[in-house]
Parts: sequence; C-alpha cells; structure tokens
Amino acid sequence: MARLVSLWRNLAHRNRVDRELDEELREAFELLVEEKLRSGLAPDAARRAARLELGSVESLKGQVQEARAGAGVDAVLQDVRYALRSLVRAPGFTAVVVVTLALGIGVNTAIFSILNAVLLRPLPFPEPDRIVRLFHVPPQATFPGMARFSLSPANFFDWQRDARSFEGMALYRGRSFTLVGQEEPRAILAAAVGAGFFEILHARPELGRVFRADEDTPAARVVVVSHGFWKTRLGGAPDVLARSLKLNGEPYAIVGVMPQTFSLGSWFAASREIWVPLALSDAERAVRENHNEQAIARLAPGATLAQGLSELEVISKRLEQEHPQENAGWGATLAPLRDVIVGDVRPTLVLLLAAVGLVLLVACANVGNLLFTRALGRRKELATRAALGAGRVRVFQQLLIEALVLACAGGAAGVLLAYASLRAFAAMLADQVPRADEIRMDLRVLAFALAASILTGLLAGALPAFRAGRAELTDALKEGGRGDSALGIRTRRLLVVCEVALSVVLLMGAAVMLRSLVALRTVDAGFDSQGVLTMRVSLPDTRYPKPAQRTAFFDTALERLRALPGVTAAGAIDDLPLMGGSVQPIVVEGRPELLPRDQPTVQVRALTPGYLRAMSIPVVRGRDVEPGDVEVLLVSRGAATLLWGDGDPIGQRVTLPLVSRTLARQVVGIVADVKQDGVTERPQPTVYSYTRERSSARLTLVARTSLPPGSLAPVAVGVIRALDPEQPVQEVRTMVEVRDALLSSQRLSALLLGLFAALALALATVGIYSVLSYIVRGRSREIGIRSALGAQSRDVVRMVVREGMTPALVGIAAGTLAALLASLSLERLVFGVSASDPLTLTAVGSLLAIVALLASLVPAYRAARVAPSTALRD
Amino acid sequence: MTGRRAALLQGTLDLLILKALAAGELHGLGVSRRIEQITGGTFVVQPGSLFPALHRLEEAGWLAADWQPSENNRRAKYYTLTKAGRRQLGEEKAVWNQIALAIARALEA
Repeated sequence: MARLVSLWRNLAHRNRVDRELDEELREAFELLVEEKLRSGLAPDAARRAARLELGSVESLKGQVQEARAGAGVDAVLQDVRYALRSLVRAPGFTAVVVVTLALGIGVNTAIFSILNAVLLRPLPFPEPDRIVRLFHVPPQATFPGMARFSLSPANFFDWQRDARSFEGMALYRGRSFTLVGQEEPRAILAAAVGAGFFEILHARPELGRVFRADEDTPAARVVVVSHGFWKTRLGGAPDVLARSLKLNGEPYAIVGVMPQTFSLGSWFAASREIWVPLALSDAERAVRENHNEQAIARLAPGATLAQGLSELEVISKRLEQEHPQENAGWGATLAPLRDVIVGDVRPTLVLLLAAVGLVLLVACANVGNLLFTRALGRRKELATRAALGAGRVRVFQQLLIEALVLACAGGAAGVLLAYASLRAFAAMLADQVPRADEIRMDLRVLAFALAASILTGLLAGALPAFRAGRAELTDALKEGGRGDSALGIRTRRLLVVCEVALSVVLLMGAAVMLRSLVALRTVDAGFDSQGVLTMRVSLPDTRYPKPAQRTAFFDTALERLRALPGVTAAGAIDDLPLMGGSVQPIVVEGRPELLPRDQPTVQVRALTPGYLRAMSIPVVRGRDVEPGDVEVLLVSRGAATLLWGDGDPIGQRVTLPLVSRTLARQVVGIVADVKQDGVTERPQPTVYSYTRERSSARLTLVARTSLPPGSLAPVAVGVIRALDPEQPVQEVRTMVEVRDALLSSQRLSALLLGLFAALALALATVGIYSVLSYIVRGRSREIGIRSALGAQSRDVVRMVVREGMTPALVGIAAGTLAALLASLSLERLVFGVSASDPLTLTAVGSLLAIVALLASLVPAYRAARVAPSTALRD
Repeated sequence: MTGRRAALLQGTLDLLILKALAAGELHGLGVSRRIEQITGGTFVVQPGSLFPALHRLEEAGWLAADWQPSENNRRAKYYTLTKAGRRQLGEEKAVWNQIALAIARALEA
C-alpha cells in the first residue's frame, strides 16, 4: 500500500519529488563540507573532500531514482518522449523506417483481416458450432476417394426419425424460377427448404413468419423473401405480406421477410433471394437409391459431434441391412457447416499469411540494419548518457523503446494502409473466397496489428540495441567522431543473408504458383475452348410441360444459332465439361446384375447432335448422334475400357438404372476422353445419351464460331428472346471464361504471392544496397589507402562487389534449402509442376544473384571514385 | 558481485539504517555517521548506497521524512522510524541474531 502511494506520488508529482531529492542531496553536500571545515580543512580542500566522498550529485540522483517505486514506468515514459524527440529530429530516417514497416505490417493486417473473416469469425447464426451438414459416405469401390456425398430422401427421413442427438434435421436444395412481373422475365434463384430449415438455424423473420410444417407439401404456394429482395425488387413495400410473386407463371403468397443479417453470401441456402418449401411428393420421399439432396441439422443441447456421428453410423449400418439393394456400402458422416463452407480455402489463406509473414521479416531485417547504423552513429551520445549515470540496461532499454515507437508508428500506418486496401481485396476475393463479403476490420484484427507491431519492434530493435549497448562506451568517447569502421559488419552480413534467403523462399513460392497456373490454363481437358460461346437455358415445366415442347424449343433454337453468320457448329449439353454433373451406376445388357455397391459408375451427360463438333471433341470410332436417332448412347474411350476392356462396345446395349431399369440403349460411337470434374482431375469414364423425344428442361447451348465468341453473345441471346420473350438466358460466357473462372482462386494466390515476393525482393535490394553503402563509407579510409598504394579502381569495385555478393550467395543457398523444405507444404496446392522444381529454383537463385550484383555495383563504383586524399584527410 | 551477496549486504544495510534511526531522527548524512559510530567504524556506508536505501525504506513505509532546520539553520530532510519500521527492525534483528548464532555455531563446529 505504501508503495502504491509512493508510486502515485512519484509519477504524478515527479517534478516536486525530483526537486526535493535535489535539495536533500545538496544539503547533504553542504553538511559534509561543514563537517570537513570543522575537522580543520581549508574551505577549498573541504569542498574537494566532500565532493570526493559524496560523488557526483547527478549520478547519485540517478541511483536514487532507479531505486524508487515506478522507476521502470517512469523511465519508459521518459524514453518514449526522448525517442519521439530524436525521431522527429531525423525525419528522413523515420520516414524510411515507418514506410517499410507500414508495408510489412499493412499486408499482414490485410491478409489477417481476410483470414479472420473467413476462418475465425463464427457464422451469423445462434450457437453456430452446433449446426452441421449431413452426408452419405459413398461405397469406395465405385466412388474412390470421395468422402462426402449427397443424401437420398428415404435415407434422410429414416435418419430424421431415428436419430436422438439432433434438435432437428432438414433438407434443402437450390431451385430457379422464372419471375414475371413488371420488368423483363428474370431467372430468380431460390432455395427450396424442407420443414424445420429456418428453425435449425434459429433464424427469425424480420416480418411475417417462416413456413409451417404443413406447408411442406406440393400444393403449397408460399414464399419467404430476403431483405434485399424486399427492399430492391418490392421497393420495401409495407404491405409486402399481402402480396404475391408470379413464379413460373403461378402466384406464390409472400408470408415472410428474412432479415439482412440472415444473408450469408457464401452459403447459397442463406443467400438466395427467395425461399420456397421443398415440398417433396410422397413418391419423391420414398426414393432411396438416388442421392441428390443436401441436409443440415443442429446438434441437440449437450450432444457432441462424435455422438451425432456415431448415432448416424449405427442407423446407416442398420439401413444397409434393411435395404441391401439400395444401401449396401452407403455410410453416413457429418461436418460443422462452417468447415464445409470454408474448408477449401484454409490452406491458401494460411499460405498467404505465411508469405506476408516472410515479407514482414524482410522488412524487420531492413529496419534492424537502419537502427543499427543509427545506434552506432549515436555512440557518442549514448556514451555521454552512460557517463551521466545511465546504466547499460538503461541504454539498451532506450534503444529498444525507440524501435518500439517506430514499430507502433509503422503499425498504425500499416493499419490505415490495410483499411484503405481492404475494399479492393474484398472485391478481388468476392468470387473466390467464401465469406469475402464479411471481410472487415474488427478488434481482433487491430489486436493482431498491435501484436505484429510490438513483435516487429522487438525483433528489429533487439539486435542493434544489444550490440550497440555492448560496444565499449569509453572507447566511443575516446575515439571521437571517427572510425565506426568495421563495427557490426558481421551483424549486417547476417541481416543480408536473412533477407536474401527469405526473398528466395517467397519468390520460389510465387514462381511455383505461377507455373502451376500456366499448367492449369494450358492443360488439355479433351476439348477446344477457343472460339466457343455458351449460355444456359432452363425451361420452366409450367410453360413447357411436355417433353416434345422442350425438344421443339431447343431444336429450333439450335437451328437458328447454326444459321447465324460465323457459327460453324452448335449443340447443347446438360452440364459443361469441368463443371461436374450426374454420376450413375451402369449395367451392360446380358451381364448378371450386381449390387449397386459393386456396379461400375460413369459420368452421365445428355447431349444433342452438334455438341461434339462445337466443342471439337473427336469421335474415335463409330458415329456421332444424329437428329434421326431416338434413344442412343455414346461412350468415352475410358468408359469403353472400363465396361468392355478390349471388346467392341459399338452395338452393345446398356441401362442406366437410375433413369430407367427397363430402357436399354444402344452404343453407336466412342468419343475421346474429356475432363468432367475439373482441370486437375483425370478424365472420368463418361456416357453421353441422346433422347430425341425427352429433351431435358435445362441445357447449356454451345456454339463454335469463327468470329470472337464474345461478339456473338447479343445475337445468340436474341435468338432465344425471339423464340420466347419470357424465357431468361443465364450465364452467357465464352468457354475460355468458363475455364478461367474455375482457376480464379489459383490466379489470385499466384497474383498475391507474386506481389508479396516482389515486395520482399524490393526490400531486400534496398537492404543490400544500404548495408554495402554503409560498409563502403566505413572503409573509405582503407579504400583510400589502397588507392594511394596503387590499387586500380577495378580492384576496388571487385572488392566491394565481393563484400556484397558473399552474404547474398550464402543467403541464396540458405533460401534454396528453406524453399525445398517449404515446398513440402506447397505440393498440395500446385498442379503440373513440382514445388521443388529445379528449373524454378535455378531461375529464382539467378534472379536474386543479379539483383544483388546490381545493388552492389552502385556503392562499388562510388567507392572506386573515392579520391585517396579525401579519404585520408577525413 | 553476485546477486545473493548483494541481497545479503542490502539486508544488512537496511537493518543498520533502521537501528541507527531507533534512537531518534537524523538526516541522511547523520544516518551515515551514526552507523559508522555504532559499528565502531567497521561499516562506512557510501552515499551511493545510502540515499537509494533511505528512499526505498521510506517508500516501503518504514521511514517517515520531514523537512526541518538543520544544525546550520538550513532545511534538511530528517528521517524517523515509523511504527511499521520499528516492527521491521524487531523482525530483522531476530532474523539477524538467528543467522549470527547459526554461523557462529557452524564456525565452532
């Protein structure tokens, strides 16, 4: 308690306390003088003796101050003030350091903001950790490597009935409607949700209500709209609950409006404009062998993820026995909703954070070097302070505090920089990263920036402060202004080695990502994406209820497309290559039927004549489908091998049991393999069906043109409009755009890594340059003597360049080793190139060697121009 | 100087200061002289140790200080023992006696 009072007094009334101390010590001196006088000394001798016994009043004061309560706090405040003053006096130095640190801390803060929004922040629903997605685990023989699969309705309803660890379960799926209103017809994205969907999320409507359980029936015509839809499409009408929407030609009563906070951009079920009941018919609810449904659930209070999982596993084991025909080999699993949403980007974000961490380290090395130079330049000042009673610890503390003040200034500037660039980052990431719409700065981001600043200050400041504090202070005083010649050269070399090594690692990462991107763009996916325009048309069943109407629509549309100038071929398919699609078991006629678990599966696509030509997918044997065909199949080369080995598939008949157990169709041709599930996947065995009279309602039209495909878009859309003015056309894109869109996240990480690597390289270049400049300046006397003794300027250049290149080469070697280690974690993220590719390593190493050489040449030539007389005179 | 030895010396110094002030109030230099006197000249406390120690003990609440006219009629800072200081002196004395006894025994053994 007494100490607390003293602490308060010392800090709050420092001046008075200091004055009193001063007075006390002066009085002690006077008393001592009198004592000496009394013992018979002459006045002069008495004062001298007293001074000798008491020591300097100033240093005595320092000793008392250090013993006092709050001495630490006091000294820190004093040092902060001192640091601010001396930094203001060196504006150039301060600016360089603050800008360097602002860049380093800024990129770290920006990337952390993204990581925070995407990976750390909870989903905007109450108790979000209890919300899970439910999946089937498919039989591994037919779906090798696939861990999660959609659900079959009948199995889901069995889980829902029997599982006890869950508060609720609900199905949902995406759906699209044609909305006809005052504007032109528009395809509107909806989520069809089963009973209990909103309750599971604990989400309440802003207006009205969500669906009642008895509305989950095919007859119900009710809709819940999003806040955004209400505000923009309905003009925020207050009587919204009395209105209805005309979807696919039928009126749906609006029963509720979901609040803005419900909208979770990265999860379609929560981000769509409207919601309708899923409304499965009794027949649909009984389907067990077809797996197309998505499901969420909420764990019951007190139930753990593991309990939920083991309960589902027990139930699906039982279902396997009860329904072996459909369920053999189909297990169950679950995962937190958040993990499902953000699962894929975690490695990329962690990689980017590691990259900016390295950038910050390079910045630290640069700043460390600058601080070191400054500390050595101030040795006289520091020595004077030491002589006046500042202990070595105090000098160390003061230098460290100066570094921390700089780091905090840099951090503050960095936060501003990150704040300014965050919008651009978020826009860039919008399509590639889930939850990008939620990126913003919050307290956690600011805490991160503060921690990064402090760490940076300690890291950059500790070594210079330690080395300068250790330098013999008396030497500094004795030497006078001259001769900071060789001090700390080793420390500086070490900094250069570190900077170069870190840059090698970053450049290596960026180069590998870039090469991977090039490989992904140029990889042969089995078709020619140049010169192709695509667009999607979904015909609503309300307006095209009969298959024949749909067939007629698409036939006419394709005919008119082919008639357009420049169009050389046109056709349609249900799912474009690389985009994934239906996977089904297949049965060859005449062979014994296997259990579903043992049946081979193939990708199944529906196409029209002209599609293969439009995509330049060659027919290897047999023929393409023709307008005269009724029910025929094409198989890919891979499917032919899978099903018939060396045998001839042409003329064979197969059934797709999920489509129809009784319909056997004849194979008329073999086509080349195409990658169906993505550029990085192998081509999967594929079966293409053509059914003249049963055209799908949803097809993507593709047209090959000799003109730039983008320029064809308006006329192509015009063709559909002319056929049916109420029919929306979606996703009008060139095939190159389709392909590139799939690579956007790779492109982004390559771009960002490249940016960060360039930043690191620039910092390292500046670092090498400034270290060498310093060394040259320090050794100008030596260089002058050498020149005077007859050294050629060539020799001087060589000497200085060697001085710069040695640590750079050591750094390149160390960085290459580190890059090889780091490549182990990169291997999963790259395609078509090894993360430890020797060519890339060599290129990166050479680049850095060249940059180091250039950074050394300027100081070297400057050194060579030093006139011996100037150097010697200085 | 190792930490342990410094601590021992510091403890001794505190005890001596408290003891010196037990007889009455003194200013800083007076404390020094008094210690010299009561230890028969064995301990000469350097001002560099004395003044920090006085301030430390004051902050710990064992000493109180006030400004009074000194022998030469100027202002000097006089220290007195507080109640807590007197208690502390008793404790330190006891501890010291224990140590002294133990060491004496150890040396005789």
